Amino acid sequence: MVRDMTEDPFETVVAAHHAEIHRYLVRATSRPSEADDLSQETFVRAYKAYRALPPDANVRAWLFAIATNLCRNHFRSEGRRRQAMALAAAGASESGPSWPEGEAIANQTSVRIDRIVTALPFKQRLAFTMRKVHELDYEAIGRSLECSAESARAHVFQALRKIRRELDDLDVVHTERQP
Amino acid sequence: MNAIPTCREVERDLVAVAAGEAGATEARGVERHVAVCRDCRDELERYRVLEGMVTDLRRAPLAEADPTLSRAELEARLADIRSRMVSYGIFPSPLGKILIARSELGVSMVRYIDSEASAKAYLARLAGDEAVEDPAAVEATYRELLDYLNARGTRLSWPLDLRWAQGDFQRRVLAVTAQLPYGAVTSYGGIARRIGAPASVRAVAQALRHNPIPIAIPCHRVIGSGGDLTGYAGTRIGLKERLLSLEGVPVGHRARKIERGHMYILAEGEVEYCVPSCGDISRKPLAEVTLFGSRQHAEAVGLSPCTSCRPDLHPLSA
Repeated sequence: MVRDMTEDPFETVVAAHHAEIHRYLVRATSRPSEADDLSQETFVRAYKAYRALPPDANVRAWLFAIATNLCRNHFRSEGRRRQAMALAAAGASESGPSWPEGEAIANQTSVRIDRIVTALPFKQRLAFTMRKVHELDYEAIGRSLECSAESARAHVFQALRKIRRELDDLDVVHTERQP
Repeated sequence: MNAIPTCREVERDLVAVAAGEAGATEARGVERHVAVCRDCRDELERYRVLEGMVTDLRRAPLAEADPTLSRAELEARLADIRSRMVSYGIFPSPLGKILIARSELGVSMVRYIDSEASAKAYLARLAGDEAVEDPAAVEATYRELLDYLNARGTRLSWPLDLRWAQGDFQRRVLAVTAQLPYGAVTSYGGIARRIGAPASVRAVAQALRHNPIPIAIPCHRVIGSGGDLTGYAGTRIGLKERLLSLEGVPVGHRARKIERGHMYILAEGEVEYCVPSCGDISRKPLAEVTLFGSRQHAEAVGLSPCTSCRPDLHPLSA
């Protein structure tokens, strides 16, 4: 009996991971429309390589690596990068199209952090998002960013330090000093 | 006792402690440091608060970030790719190495190969990255082919995908050739007549020369008008001879000709098969008849023995 190729195991992969990869790419690119395109591209590439993947591979971490790689290519054009930076800067002072004010009221801190994250350098932004939002381990983050687990940890640290400083300026983090 | 680490030394570990990622040594260092340094104690507290906020990011909705539409578009793209995708494998066979490719629709290629690298390069030129090496996906097809080649089966009832046929003419030639029964032969002219283009003998030969699915589309059952085997898969005429012998078609080894005098004959439009000495049937051009190597194969497709020459009573000697 010929294997029924309409029963594609990859459908399970899409069902399990598309929404999360999409969320990751929204943060990574700061543009939902680009996340739409890049998440599709991630899964199209994954589909073509899926059969060659070892059965014990961590599919989720592998998808993050593909998505990250696409992001890197996407931002490699410096013009695009600057455009994203400019957008992020605009978004920080007024409500941009990606981050409407209605949501911001309910999730003000989250939105502020997202805006700060958007302005971080590429590797810090992605390392932070993979670690703190998606809880990937540093090994997996390192593979995605083509660096060591230790460097991945350092990127997350740098990101956290910057976020803390920015929030400090905004007086979000406030601790009472004992006299 | 070790010296208490400095603010600078402890900075990174503060973050790790706040995130719950610090090892025992780092945690102890931080503990000892913040016991004596108020600034870093506050700093640790801030990082803990920040850690809580960052954790909230996991739950916070993302504005305008609905993946539904993207997911639907993705499903459509994958369905399209899936329909264009072919899986292939390269296997050993009694006829040498063979490449088998199939898609969702059916078997799209059977190819005799000399070198795996050049076969893969050929497929890559033809299909780009839509051809994926996946022997498991074609394993069952391969097993059926092996049974066929080892005379354990006479039918390859595969659905076929003629994506690599070139144009309508070749498709018609291939479709008619696919109807030739096991153990039967006709000539290129015979195929030309069956597609309603009796003058296009050379074009038929050309179309079969580029048959993408040999064996399953049995172009080995099509021969020259004089009975000679002519060509097969480039210079593999020996394979044509082996395939025909497998089906019980007598091939004269020295001249590589079909021995028409040793075969049963079905005239065009008839439902009864004859011995060669029946009437003037042996004078009919090969294009107007189909030859069978055995009665068994003729009767397997529903033909009856001729009531005049009675091949059932006077069979040809083997």
